[in-house]
Amino acid sequence: MRTIVVYKWARAAASAVVRQGGQVDWGGARLAAGEDDPAALAVAQALATQSGDVAGLTIGDGETAWALARGADAAHAVPALGPLTDNAATAKALASAVRQIAASQAVDVVVIGDATADPGVAAALAAELGWPALLGVTSAAPAGDRVTAARRVGNAIETVSLPTPAVLAVAAVGEEARAPGMMELIKARKKPVAQLTVEAPAEGVSQRATRLPAAAGARLFEGDADTAAQALVAALRGDGLL
Amino acid sequence: MDVDFDVIVVGAGVAGCVAAHQLATAGRSVLLVERGAQVGDKALSGGVLYCRVMEQIFPGFLERAPVERAITRNCLSFMNSDSFVNIDYADDRLGAPVNAVSVLRAKLDAWLGEQCEAAGAMVMPGVLVDRLLLEGGRVLGVGAGEDELRCHVVVAADGVNSFVARDAGLRDPDPPRHLALGVKSVIALDRSTIEARFNLPAAGGAGGLAEGAAYAVVGDCTKGVGGGGFMYTNLESVSIGLVLRLDDLARSGETASDLHDRFLDHRRVAPFLEGGELLEYGAHLVAEGGAAMVRGLVAPGLVLVGEAAGLALNTGLTVRGMDLAAGSALAAAKCVDAALAAGDCSAAGLASYEAALRASFVGRDIETYRRAPAFLEGTRMFNDYGPLLADVFHGVYNLDLSPRRRLVKTARAAVKASPVRLVDLARDAWAAMRAL
Repeated sequence: MRTIVVYKWARAAASAVVRQGGQVDWGGARLAAGEDDPAALAVAQALATQSGDVAGLTIGDGETAWALARGADAAHAVPALGPLTDNAATAKALASAVRQIAASQAVDVVVIGDATADPGVAAALAAELGWPALLGVTSAAPAGDRVTAARRVGNAIETVSLPTPAVLAVAAVGEEARAPGMMELIKARKKPVAQLTVEAPAEGVSQRATRLPAAAGARLFEGDADTAAQALVAALRGDGLL
Repeated sequence: MDVDFDVIVVGAGVAGCVAAHQLATAGRSVLLVERGAQVGDKALSGGVLYCRVMEQIFPGFLERAPVERAITRNCLSFMNSDSFVNIDYADDRLGAPVNAVSVLRAKLDAWLGEQCEAAGAMVMPGVLVDRLLLEGGRVLGVGAGEDELRCHVVVAADGVNSFVARDAGLRDPDPPRHLALGVKSVIALDRSTIEARFNLPAAGGAGGLAEGAAYAVVGDCTKGVGGGGFMYTNLESVSIGLVLRLDDLARSGETASDLHDRFLDHRRVAPFLEGGELLEYGAHLVAEGGAAMVRGLVAPGLVLVGEAAGLALNTGLTVRGMDLAAGSALAAAKCVDAALAAGDCSAAGLASYEAALRASFVGRDIETYRRAPAFLEGTRMFNDYGPLLADVFHGVYNLDLSPRRRLVKTARAAVKASPVRLVDLARDAWAAMRAL
């Protein structure tokens, strides 16, 4: 299967700060490979194991060779696109890039990290492309011209069969199994990365307000152990819990 | 010798980036290796950068680089438990030209990494170099996990705890009295609040940059532990913290975090930060030994730059590291380039770096302030001079209807009442003149 893995398309969540009022301050956060990106690449590679290839797609500057260092066969970058704050605009830009890649060779599956900080991108990307999407995927394998994907639903594993072309959003279940070594990184840097041009979409969705999740109040019972224990018991009784 | 690169630079801080940039600009094949996932990831918040050297390296630095504020106001503060004596120096000349700016390192280092790539260096974050490749005392390259890379020269820019320098046998672990623990908070405040609280002109008079202030604080902020406090303004945040000499901190039984919190809660400091929001909190080891830490800069196939070379300078008035890092990298890059051109990267071939560093502003300033660490180790500076100064000013300003005395008599009475003897005062004044 010809698979595209989308990587380094979101701002580094570790650089975001949740401010006292609940608003998320992204400051100067740069685009970075997210924690789901290695899992997305692993799924893409599993889909291309028997036949086909994996091409990477990234936006912005920075480490464009990330997927090449991890075994992708080719990489495409849209360097002029900076971090987009609007999930819909990000999806629109990615869809435009996918269509450009698919113009020369059909694409069967697009795999993208199911990033919690940007939850709308994968579904919007599928909508832009007019393809089916499956979110929360943990593994996938080709099955003829279809894809069999698994995802965790509660304590169960749900197996879903999708027609292609399709978008799979992959959620990491652990750390990257093996980071590439220095030589792999250097070799990847020497490989060409195809440059694409995509017009920056208008960012139409803006975040107008946020609120902090309701926090449970905490009460501190001070004093020696006996006093604190008695106060705790009294409080529990007062709340009707004892 | 077959090599993968002419030069491998370990560490993408200011020193590493400047060295890589200069060597790549000279046409050398350069690999810049950084352990952080991105360049700038491992840098702790920022500092005051004395930036004239950066203008030499990156023309238009102030217009192009992500700097925060031009420092046009400096305060030397003697802090006591219930008083705060400040020498407050603001000067328009500090804004024309701008020679000091506050910076946030995550932004600055990322920009420096971009300049390296633009110059042709290969910048490789996310790689932890874990060993030097050595053969008969000659450094042949670096290793990271299973991989090894060979080069003509390794530039060690991996900070104060440089394992590269230790691996090469150039540096033993430094004694605790040469090291200090910096502990810092970055507090978010809006721009106009910062400008009002720090008495800063709102309109940029410093080449279009916003103006900023930097405080150097001694005395009760460290509760008698050798070291001092600092506070400086970024565009929309204030960086504040302490630098605590390791040996004294251990001896005191205090914890750095408690001292840090105590400093921020001081009733003369807290109003600067009121309503602010903690953005970042961290600690970092810093070099404090001055000239005594600078030793063994070159080995066959290896040069040390920046804090890996022990280059940092605390005069009590200014704390410098980044400009010395850039200056040392500049000198090292020229010498490495010359050694590569001559085909001699032995210790003798690289030895011109030591002489070039000594002749540069870096070596000269390290030499000028060689006595500063010993001077700053004196306990009177942290314990006694703050209260003494406060007593003198209290005698001047506390007009309580008692008959006034001339300033000299007021000062003499304050000295008499303090543990500082006149002979101590004379000795310390002499030492200060020699050290600073």
